[in-house]
Amino acid sequence: MSATAWVVVVVLVAVGLWAVAVYNRLVQLRNRIANAFGQIDVQLKRRYDLIPNLVEVARGYLAHEAATLEAVIKARSQAQGAAAAVRAAPQSASAMGALAAAEGVLGGSLGRLMVVAESYPELKADATMQSLSEEITSTENRLGFARQAYNDQALEFNDAAAQFPDLIVARLLGFAPAPMLASTQSDEERAAPRVKF
Amino acid sequence: MKFWDHQHNARSETRRLLLGFAFAVVVLVAAVHAALALAWWLMVAVLPVHLPFPQGFLAANVGVSLMLVLGGWWVETSNLRAGGVKLAQRVGARELRPSLSHAEQRLSNIVDELCIAAHMPRPQVMVMPRTDAINAFAAGWDESDAVIAVTQGALDYLTREEMQGMVAHELSHLHEGDTRLKMRLAGMVFGLELVYNFGDTMRERRGLAWWFGSAIMVAGFAGWLTGRMLKAAVSRQREYLADARAVQWTRSRDGLGGVLRKVMAQRRDTPAGYAENPVHTGLAHPAVQHMLLVDVPGRSRMERWLDTHPTLDDRVQRLYGRRMQPLPAVPVPAGHESARRDEGGTAGTVSIASLVDPFARFM
Repeated sequence: MSATAWVVVVVLVAVGLWAVAVYNRLVQLRNRIANAFGQIDVQLKRRYDLIPNLVEVARGYLAHEAATLEAVIKARSQAQGAAAAVRAAPQSASAMGALAAAEGVLGGSLGRLMVVAESYPELKADATMQSLSEEITSTENRLGFARQAYNDQALEFNDAAAQFPDLIVARLLGFAPAPMLASTQSDEERAAPRVKF
Repeated sequence: MKFWDHQHNARSETRRLLLGFAFAVVVLVAAVHAALALAWWLMVAVLPVHLPFPQGFLAANVGVSLMLVLGGWWVETSNLRAGGVKLAQRVGARELRPSLSHAEQRLSNIVDELCIAAHMPRPQVMVMPRTDAINAFAAGWDESDAVIAVTQGALDYLTREEMQGMVAHELSHLHEGDTRLKMRLAGMVFGLELVYNFGDTMRERRGLAWWFGSAIMVAGFAGWLTGRMLKAAVSRQREYLADARAVQWTRSRDGLGGVLRKVMAQRRDTPAGYAENPVHTGLAHPAVQHMLLVDVPGRSRMERWLDTHPTLDDRVQRLYGRRMQPLPAVPVPAGHESARRDEGGTAGTVSIASLVDPFARFM
C-alpha cells in the first residue's frame, strides 16, 4: 500500500474511534436521563398512593365538599394513566406533555382541597391528617427536587448532543434532544393567581 | 447570592491551607532540631570543655519529632476510626424514630428530599434528645457510616423550611467529604500537640532534661499554634462552602438564614456559663465540637483566629448581603405533641424531666 493509503486508513480509524467514544458518551447521558425520570416516577407513584388515603380521611370531615374530593380522585386516576403511558414510551414528547398536563390538573385540585381544608379546624387538627399532609408536602418537595435533577441531566445531554463536532454523530445516529420539564403548563398558570370575591 | 463563586473560592482556599499544614509539620521538625541544636550550643558555651554534637544528632531529632507527630496522628485517627454512628452515640444521640412525633417524621422526610436534590445516599439520622440548643452535626468517614445528628432544640424551634436549610448544610459536609477531612485534621493537630506535651513532660525533671525539654516545648508550641490556626481556617472555609450549598439545594436563603438568626436570639437570651449550661448537653465534647453547625462558645476566651467557625453575624451577612436581626426562637406548633411544652417563650430553657430521662419529653 502506498503512503497515501496508509494515511487514509489511519484517519478513518481515528475518526471511527472518535465516533464510538462520542456515541458511548451520548448513550451514557441518555441513560442518566432515564434514571432521573425513574426518580420522578417513584415520587409520582408515592403521590398516587397517598392521595386516596388523604381523601378518605378528609371525607369524614368534608361531607359537603364531595365535588372537590371527587375532582381530586378523578385527576389522580387520569394522572396515573398518563404516567403509565410515559413509562411505556419514555422517548415520546407527546406522552410527556400529556403527563405534565394531567399532573397540572392533579396539583390544582389538590391545592383546592388544601384550601378547603383550611376552613375546617377539626380536620386540620386530626393527627392522621397532619401526618398525611406532611407526607404530601414532602412528596411535592421530592418531586420538585427530582424534576430539578431531571432537567439538569436533560440539559447536560442536550448540550453534549448540540455541540460541534459531536453534533455530527448525534445527528447521524438520530439522538433527539430530550424534552425539559416545565413546572407550569399554560399561560394562565404562569400568571399570578388572582383572588375573586 | 452567587453560590458557584463561593464554592470555587472555598475549594481553592482549602487546598492551599492543606499544603500549609504539611508545611507546618516540616517547619515544626526543623524548629525542634534548631532549638535542640541551640540548646546544645549554649550548654557547650557555658561548660569549660569542648563537646562536638553527639553522633546522629540530626537523625535522632528529626526521627523522634516525626515519630511523635505521625504517631500521635495515627493514634488519634484510629480512635476516630470507630465511625460516625459510634461518635454520635458517644455524645448521647439516639436513632431517629419517625413514628414517635410529627417533628421526627418531618425530619426524616426532609433528609430524603434533600438526598434527591444532592444526588447522594441517605445518611443515618440521629437525634440528641437532651440538648435544647439549636444545633446539628455531621460525622463519618465514608458513605456507609455517614450520620447527621440534630438536637431536640432544633426539632422544637425550627420551621420546616429552616430545618431544610440546616439539613442541607450538614449534607454538604458529608457530600464534600468535610467530615473525613475534619477528622483527619483533628488527628494531625493532636500529633503536633504531642511534641509540645513531650517537651512539657521532660521539663518536669530537673537539670539537662529541663533545659532540653524547654527547647522542645518552645518549638512544639509554634507547631501546635500553626496547626490550630490552619485547622480553624480550613474549617471556616468549609462552613462557608456548606452555607453556599444549602442555598443551592434548597434554592432559598431564608431556611438556613432563619436557623442562624434563631441561634443568635438563643445565645442572646441564654444565661452566661454557656458551655456548661445543660442546654448544650453533649455538644461541648471535643470529638464533635468542631463539626457542629454553630460552634459552642469556648470555655476560655480563645482568640478569633482559633475559632473553627466564622461568626454568626458574618455568616448571616454572607447569606443576606446585609446584617440581620435575630429571630426569636419560640417552639413551632407542630403536630400532636406540641402541647407538651408549656414553659413558653423563654428560649434556651430545658425541662428537668428531659434531663433526667431523654424520652420524658414524649410522654
